[in-house]
Amino acid sequence: MTEFLIQRSLISLVTLLLITLIVFTGVRLIPGDPARVMAGTDADPAGIEEIRQKYGLRDPIPVQYVKWLRLALHGDLGESIRTREPIVRLVSHKLPITLQLSAFAMLIALLVAIPVGVLAAVRRNTAWDYLAGSVSLCGVSIPNFWLGIMLILFLSVRLHWLPASGYVSPLEDPWGNLQRLLMPAVVLAAQLMAVLMRQTRNSMIEVLSADYVRTAYAKGLRTGIVVFRHAIRNGLIPVITILGLQLGALISGAVITEQIFVVPGFGRLILEGVFTRDYPIVQGVVLITASAYVLLNLLVDVSYSLLNPRIRVQGGRGES
Amino acid sequence: MSPDSAPATAVLASGPRAGAILGDRVRVAWRRLARRPPAVAGLLVVLAFVIVALAAPWLAPADPNATSWSAIRKAPSWAHPFGTDDLGRDTLSRVIWGARVSMQAGVLSILFAIAVGVPSGLAAGYYRGVIDQALMRLTDAWLSFPFLILAIGLVTILGPSLTNATLAIGLGATPTYIRLTRGLVLAKREEDYVQGARAMGAGDFRVMGRHVLPNIVSSILVQATVSIPAAIIAEAVLSFLGLGVQPPTPSWGTMLNTAQAFLEQAPWMAWWPGLAIFALALSFNLAGDGLRDVLDPRDY
Repeated sequence: MTEFLIQRSLISLVTLLLITLIVFTGVRLIPGDPARVMAGTDADPAGIEEIRQKYGLRDPIPVQYVKWLRLALHGDLGESIRTREPIVRLVSHKLPITLQLSAFAMLIALLVAIPVGVLAAVRRNTAWDYLAGSVSLCGVSIPNFWLGIMLILFLSVRLHWLPASGYVSPLEDPWGNLQRLLMPAVVLAAQLMAVLMRQTRNSMIEVLSADYVRTAYAKGLRTGIVVFRHAIRNGLIPVITILGLQLGALISGAVITEQIFVVPGFGRLILEGVFTRDYPIVQGVVLITASAYVLLNLLVDVSYSLLNPRIRVQGGRGES
Repeated sequence: MSPDSAPATAVLASGPRAGAILGDRVRVAWRRLARRPPAVAGLLVVLAFVIVALAAPWLAPADPNATSWSAIRKAPSWAHPFGTDDLGRDTLSRVIWGARVSMQAGVLSILFAIAVGVPSGLAAGYYRGVIDQALMRLTDAWLSFPFLILAIGLVTILGPSLTNATLAIGLGATPTYIRLTRGLVLAKREEDYVQGARAMGAGDFRVMGRHVLPNIVSSILVQATVSIPAAIIAEAVLSFLGLGVQPPTPSWGTMLNTAQAFLEQAPWMAWWPGLAIFALALSFNLAGDGLRDVLDPRDY
């Protein structure tokens, strides 16, 4: 177990280093003087010189990288060109909003996908199964931003049931917060739900044909007890892994839904960064997201190995 | 590493016989596919979209970029079956031309991913060792960038355009192909026929190209049918966000971007481009599901 943990953590560490290298190189690929790029086009010479000093832009590239990495590790990702606010503070203001939205979406996806996936597996090749399969296929195929626009069209513009956009803090107005986040969360959940549903169904089918499930049936247990006591525990393990791998899709989805529903989160921050050519914002957000993804997947893998002892012996999920 | 020169290997996979086997496979595959109506329907719709994309100049009733101040935001009618947009342009014509952009971005980006990913995966799986380790760590890092974040990063560096969006989507899909190919090669390289070919003196390139690659093509094809619809949606997303196709070029994503501002006055502007993306992606997925059952029944 310890060996697995060490090995898995080392891989994550290497991945993180590579990520920083990619992000660092990416910024250097932006045409123009890096100091000018980071200080903004209308910065004064003093500002540019300050940036040049801070990042050691006259040093050789490898030295620059180490300097940049050291600053990043100390939580200094530079400051926004437009507002001069530190990137870390900007992100920490926006992140809770996106996290709330994502958690809400994940909850919706799980609450729908797991019962329906289990039902489809238990009633395999019946109308229920086909219905679940069709819903899942549509969920993967529907462009989520269009789903969002259609929801706004019907629920807000036509029926006036829900506000079309905006955000209020749950601390100020919990009910208004839920009302405003419901549509974005459903949109964000759609694809995740489809993927999880399919995964739940497939792994439940596999588990339901296992020997111990047959034994449970042979003992005379009712279907409900066999499914909920015996099968579901093992059947849901692969779903956790998929959940980890889907985090990336969830982050991408959050960018889109926040844009459509004007939710002032993380996703809008990076888009604003792109459109206003605020490179430090883009760089910081890209770096933070990728690192978070690696760490979350490390967490998923470790919890996975705790749930499923077999994986520890085999030395890690899948190939590596 | 040695160039293939052993004449003996020619017997193993001679041209005509390989061709006959391929023909048989296609026939069997077609018969299996015909038993799946949803897959056939999906395939037909995809073909219809391909035809629409290719024949856009002849099919579109009007110039997709011709503005008309007298026909701004007109509801669907005989003259404009899908209505007109905020500049009086014919939505039907723009949807038809949009098929071109979507197909182009969807197919070219995945072709790029295959062109880069498959050879890299082949090398990693075949040679193992340092190349393999390095490539795997690189794909780990690469896959840690959520697709849209990667695309945003790239577009920030390169600037928004259809080409750069296609490149970003292709780069985003590449690691999947590296890993898929590598996994398949690892399984195949120990097979008797591969060992046999090597024993007969076939060089690395011959073994990879003649013996390993043909046996993994179907799995890669199946993956492509999953990635292409995802790439089509990705292009629409990027264009919707203003990171892809730039106006006035008609693209389903940019059309939806404009439509969002006129939901109350002109909802039809939002219906058709979205329906087109949905229909195309759904058909691709249906066809892909069928193809998966047909091409490798054992692997799934």
